[in-house]
Amino acid sequence: MSAIEAGRASQSVMEQVGPNIIHHVSNSDISHPLLHLPTLFGVNFSVTKHVFMLWFVAVLVGITIIIPVRKFLSSGKSTPSGWMNAIEGIVQFIRDTIVKPNVGPKWVMTWTPIILTFFFFILFANGIGMIPIFDVLGVINRFILGVPAWDSHNTINHLLHGGVTATANFNVTAGLATITFFSIMVAGTMAHGFINHWKNLAPHGLAWPVYIILIPIEIMGLFVKPFALTMRLAANMTGGHIALLALLSLMAIFGEMFQSTVAGVGVAFISIPMAAAISGLEIIVVLVQAYVFTLLTSVFIGMAINVHH
Amino acid sequence: MTMYLPIGMGLIVIGAGLGIGKFAAAAADGIARQPEAADKITAAVNLPLFLLEGVAILAEVFTFLMLIL
Repeated sequence: MSAIEAGRASQSVMEQVGPNIIHHVSNSDISHPLLHLPTLFGVNFSVTKHVFMLWFVAVLVGITIIIPVRKFLSSGKSTPSGWMNAIEGIVQFIRDTIVKPNVGPKWVMTWTPIILTFFFFILFANGIGMIPIFDVLGVINRFILGVPAWDSHNTINHLLHGGVTATANFNVTAGLATITFFSIMVAGTMAHGFINHWKNLAPHGLAWPVYIILIPIEIMGLFVKPFALTMRLAANMTGGHIALLALLSLMAIFGEMFQSTVAGVGVAFISIPMAAAISGLEIIVVLVQAYVFTLLTSVFIGMAINVHH
Repeated sequence: MTMYLPIGMGLIVIGAGLGIGKFAAAAADGIARQPEAADKITAAVNLPLFLLEGVAILAEVFTFLMLIL
């Protein structure tokens, strides 16, 4: 028995459950990255698990969306078939029901591409979080290959650190919301010119004392919009996974509390159906959050273009 | 202070639940009265619903941050 295993055995289950849940939703440790890269300008470029998942999602979107679309466009056919049909359905839905009513018919073709990019990227990044690739690898590793959990030199044990949902990381969603933040400004500038866009932030023709309150509020609103987008996506993706793991951890907690295997197995009859139900809810949340992010982005872009003060 | 945070979480859930309940009730009422306007009613309900959800999520994130900081 190694020293690490002895240390783990001395901890109670209650003490292990919390860190285990946090460990499953957060990024892997920067000091043990998957790939070591040098530090440039004070930023460590090492590839942690969320960075890896971002690239993985980007490649997946490229293979499943961009390549079929390019192939279809260069083939010169007028009617799509198979997978391309599904993509066309989604693209048309987003263009006609999300972008067009909010941005307006004049600018719809300018802003649909960025909204579609957001939608597919967030949908794939969220969806991959619901596929337990690394957890299944871990189970195979533990029970078929017989590698113990504390072996830190094992590649698969190393891969198990950190969650797979890149959009559950606040830095990732903040990056996405930054793109929204600048798109709002670019949209306003393209539609009204640079000076007029900033003038449009506050309504015209009010008594001057009102502006003393109004202008700071509008400037705050400028930053609150992307901040709310950041928090909404990341917190939704983190929250669902925490709820799932907390329900599954009840088995270990009850088994420990009553010092019997029967108690743990008995709770499994409640907690596993609940976890399955929450997984179903999570699949809806995955779709809804991708939809919400794109909807709100197009609403904010539309607010900069169609000023109705 | 940590022991009061779960109460705060409960209050957030009550508030958000009441808000979403009112939305759903009003939308169902509207659609029942005028089924042909279902699409428009759904579209009008969506955006405020997500904004409300955003406020609730923000409050929960801040509660969680208070818990761990």
